[in-house]
Amino acid sequence: MKAHKIFAWLAIAIGAIYFFVPLIGTFEFSLRMRRGVYSFDAYQSVFTDAQFRATFGFSMLMAMVTIVVGMLLIVPTAYWVRLRLPQMRPVVEFITLLPLVIPAIVIVFGYLRLYNSSSWIPFTGSTQGTNILLTFSYVTLALPYMYRSVDTAMRTIDVRTLTEAAEILGAKWPTIMFRCIFPNVMSGVLSGAFITFAIVMGEFTMAALLNRPAFGPYLQLVGANKAYEPSALAVIAFAITWLSMGLIQLVSRFSKLTPSRP
Amino acid sequence: MSFLVLDSIKKSFGQTQVVKDFNMSIEKGEFVSFLGPSGCGKTTVLRMIAGFESPSDGAISINGKNQNTLKTNQRNIGMVFQAYALFPNMNVFDNVAFGLKVAGKSKTEIETRVKEMLKLISLDHLADRYPYQMSGGQQQRVALARALAPKPQVLLLDEPLSALDAKIRVSLREEIREIQRQLGITTVFVTHDQEEALSISDRVVVMNAGRADQIGTPSEIYNRPTTRFVASFVGTLNIIEATVIDPAANTVKVGENTIRLRESIGALKGGDKLSIALRPEAGSLLENAKGDTSLTGQVISSHFLGSVIRTKLEVGGNQISFDMFNSPDAVLPQSGETLTLRFNAHDFLIIRD
Repeated sequence: MKAHKIFAWLAIAIGAIYFFVPLIGTFEFSLRMRRGVYSFDAYQSVFTDAQFRATFGFSMLMAMVTIVVGMLLIVPTAYWVRLRLPQMRPVVEFITLLPLVIPAIVIVFGYLRLYNSSSWIPFTGSTQGTNILLTFSYVTLALPYMYRSVDTAMRTIDVRTLTEAAEILGAKWPTIMFRCIFPNVMSGVLSGAFITFAIVMGEFTMAALLNRPAFGPYLQLVGANKAYEPSALAVIAFAITWLSMGLIQLVSRFSKLTPSRP
Repeated sequence: MSFLVLDSIKKSFGQTQVVKDFNMSIEKGEFVSFLGPSGCGKTTVLRMIAGFESPSDGAISINGKNQNTLKTNQRNIGMVFQAYALFPNMNVFDNVAFGLKVAGKSKTEIETRVKEMLKLISLDHLADRYPYQMSGGQQQRVALARALAPKPQVLLLDEPLSALDAKIRVSLREEIREIQRQLGITTVFVTHDQEEALSISDRVVVMNAGRADQIGTPSEIYNRPTTRFVASFVGTLNIIEATVIDPAANTVKVGENTIRLRESIGALKGGDKLSIALRPEAGSLLENAKGDTSLTGQVISSHFLGSVIRTKLEVGGNQISFDMFNSPDAVLPQSGETLTLRFNAHDFLIIRD
């Protein structure tokens, strides 16, 4: 029993070292910009860089739009699959898993072939069009995570009975959707939103190949040309991911206040 | 004309017909229970009244208006579900107010009506609570208030007591009946619990395999079941195989006992087999008991069940259970003892399937 415990702690320690040592090393290196002393100069340099602000802002905006578009697509889909088309569940699950199997570069080349400026739908013909295409590609990338988090949240409530209860009280579909279902799957929606946020903030392939000024390509650019700032950016990127994960935990803790059911 | 009319309703799911030619007329203010085992079609009929399912054939009308073409949200029907179905994101007040808000009532109207409803279910002090902060019984009372708030023309109750514990179930069913009487609302109640159906209904519909086997008052259903299914489903019943002696005189033989039935035997001949039924509480062992008929047999077993003593007699190859009230000086009959059970001939029912 005791030996088991020692091995368990040893495994945890090895895992922690494997994960934290490079991170601590990166953080320590990011503080060495000023010769001989630790300083936050690298961070200052990053935060004062206009390009950082522009790319960070752009990616933030894209993340928000992706979350809204994704949720408008996924919540009704998950709802209908659960309520009226349960036989379609395997098909929808398969489709939502595809972005995990097909590499982003293949997806983006497919987009470029389909939506180039000489095609029937020339999304890439304009900046706005390319931004829209980038949003759609982010929605595609986030699909597996968003769908699952929303679907899991829907599993915790009796969607069918709540829908019927609202319907018999005279409610129409928009009321049922936005007042009875959506607020009750909010924990799943928010979890999906934070994962999407983290994905979009770090995404490189789509943004680079569609030539948009996103945070991912900026990270790559800085990494190729500077010494200390890439480490500072890596720590910032980790912080964003951890913040998102922390918020997911917080949201799921709140969602434990679920109704008592028979 | 009746208030709620179900006219030759049929419902099929694929090849399976779950409701077969269901006819029923319910008067305004009546409390009708659909009673039957799982899968008999009672909930399907209720869901068709609500509009969640469309009949494959037949018509449903409320107050003379055909409902078949109306959507659920256009029917003005209230419904209470087995699973409460309160909106978890809304507190009690908002849950009860939901239907009124959807109907576009004014703020003052909503507030007055919600308060009235919460007072009706005696939960006016819990208006700010969320469903997860309440017990099952409280949640179901809120669900009832929510269903009644928009003043529906019909109230549907889909096994609303099934998820509650026994004590709450009894008190809530009495409360539901009291509220229904107070408001005079036409109510259809679905249950598989015969005690529930018999105790609170004006009429009971016993359903079997998609059909209404018998429609009648609780007393008619219990005392005069017309089919073997109703007889066996409602209450405990002894089914006794008898042999016809004289069809003209309505006499049959059970073991060595000859019984003259009140009901006509019909077209059977002497020597034919006939099923007759007797409730366990119909007989008495007392010498001076009222009754024009008796059955003598041997005791197989006797059990003390608290308020009653249930004894099993063997009479001509039939096992007959009968109950007698417990009293402090009651003596349990012993196995092998010969006993005579006295009862009235009209307590016997002929089972014609």
